[in-house]
Amino acid sequence: MNYLSMKNITKHFGAISALQGVDFNIKAGEVVGLMGDNGAGKSTLMKIIAGNLRPSTGEISVQGKQAVFSNPLDARRLGIEIVYQDLALCDNLTAAANVFLGRELRSGFGIFHRLKHTAMNERAADLFKELKSETRPKDLVERMSGGQRQAVALARTRLSDPKLVLLDEPTAAISVRQVAEVLARIAQLRNTGHAVILVSHRMGDVFEVCDRVVVLRRGRKIADKPIRQSSPEEVTGLITGAIEAV
Amino acid sequence: MLSEKHLSFLIDNLIWIILIAVFTFFATQSEHFLTERNISNILTAAAVLGVLVVGQTFVLISGNFDLSTESTMGLAALLGLWLIVPAAAPTFGGGIFLNPFFAIGVVLLTGAAIGYAVGCLITFGRMHNFIVTLAVLLIIRGFMLAFSEGAPVNGFNNPSADVFYWLGHQKAFFIPGVGNITVAVVATGLLFLVVHFILQNHKFGRELYAIGGNRKAAEQLGINANRRIRQVYMISGLLAALAGWMLAGRVVSIQSNLGEGFIFTVFAGAVIGGVSLQGGRGTMLGALGGVLLLSTIDRGLNLMHVSVFWVKVIQGLIILVAMFLDAQRVRLREISLSVSTKTFRAKSESET
Repeated sequence: MNYLSMKNITKHFGAISALQGVDFNIKAGEVVGLMGDNGAGKSTLMKIIAGNLRPSTGEISVQGKQAVFSNPLDARRLGIEIVYQDLALCDNLTAAANVFLGRELRSGFGIFHRLKHTAMNERAADLFKELKSETRPKDLVERMSGGQRQAVALARTRLSDPKLVLLDEPTAAISVRQVAEVLARIAQLRNTGHAVILVSHRMGDVFEVCDRVVVLRRGRKIADKPIRQSSPEEVTGLITGAIEAV
Repeated sequence: MLSEKHLSFLIDNLIWIILIAVFTFFATQSEHFLTERNISNILTAAAVLGVLVVGQTFVLISGNFDLSTESTMGLAALLGLWLIVPAAAPTFGGGIFLNPFFAIGVVLLTGAAIGYAVGCLITFGRMHNFIVTLAVLLIIRGFMLAFSEGAPVNGFNNPSADVFYWLGHQKAFFIPGVGNITVAVVATGLLFLVVHFILQNHKFGRELYAIGGNRKAAEQLGINANRRIRQVYMISGLLAALAGWMLAGRVVSIQSNLGEGFIFTVFAGAVIGGVSLQGGRGTMLGALGGVLLLSTIDRGLNLMHVSVFWVKVIQGLIILVAMFLDAQRVRLREISLSVSTKTFRAKSESET
């Protein structure tokens, strides 16, 4: 059964149609590469899945049940986590504060609460250790290298036990060694039964770790096929328009 | 050579070093400076400024600013007394004879409502905070003039007005060497403590720092930035009204231009105390240092008999110095960051 199922999704921004009648499905333990040129609608689709945007029309169901995401917290509750391309970090906060942002551990009741700084620092330290990152929980994010910043963003996805992880250009701004680590993490997520959507411009990354590739062009889905039945040349042709659709 | 930790501590606590230096300077310049009466005066003058700075710090940390609070403060004082005292001379009130406790409630609600309306204009109306708060500053000031027809509202020998004056006027206790501590000083001190706790240990405070630091990221993570900004402006308006109620007890006769130009001192207090105009940085303890420094300088100049003509010049210079210090703080932090990041990366690489 599909973990996430989207039917006939459209999204309009005024007169502009960012998505037009897109169907999208993903199963547990599957890695799907989402590709397309700038303005193809990849980010819009990701934002809809992550709860940042509501579709103009269309249906979303999670594990067979219809779902409506009015904000990112709704998506998180259903086990959907996202790592944004810009990593969505606040430089003025510590690594631990960034990991727990929006989901702070608290003691007390309702508005009469106190943040549990020690518990959050300890949990963040454990998460960084699991990610084999030397990031220190009390360091300000502004002091960190690209790899450490990415570790902070990735650590967020491990706070809960997500079922679907969205990665938006995770290898765009990191070193070659760190790219290999990220790809290994994606493979590890698949092996542990997680669904992963990878948005990337790097053809090599997509063909290395993905099971299926979906190509968007001008807001429409023009390809959705197993990666073994495609090739980088075909995907490039689909992205640029040299190949109409498959 | 200072270590990164010590340099960071020094940058964050620069205000207290400056405060001690300024305090020592005035103590050597005037024999009256260290008297109980003067220290009590410094604290009492700091109380009203402190309440406004607390509100402004909330707004600044969220990456916004609020120019309208000086007018809201003036309106609160004027409206509160107007609701209580008789219409005829010499009080020039509204003749409504409202119970002073209700008047206090009306004043605080009015302040909160003005703040919330400002927040709504900025978030729902997608208008720039500078323009909105400047417009509200002018509207309220004009309204005060029209409302009072330029005449001051007074509370001479009026028992109800005395109740209204209580917060700004009443002495709470006496501390040997410091002098009389007013209720206003105690209330402001408590306010700083509570807000310091909220900013450092409450989800609301954490979200404000996040919004001020990177609003887009905060929203991507599910924080409703617009709602928080409306709440912050509401708090700022409420605290401006509280400051107005406090100020009424000190000036007794409320002029329609009460608080005019005070907003610059409020910004100076916050910025000197390390609260960044860029948002996301600053602490309530730093802001407290800024308030005490400005109040100390004000009283010190007074005791040194500096001409009032020069006081404005000095106030302007203080704001320039505050901006200079803010720029230096950013520069020092960047230097400290580049040094520590290089050291940390080198250490990490040598370990791997």
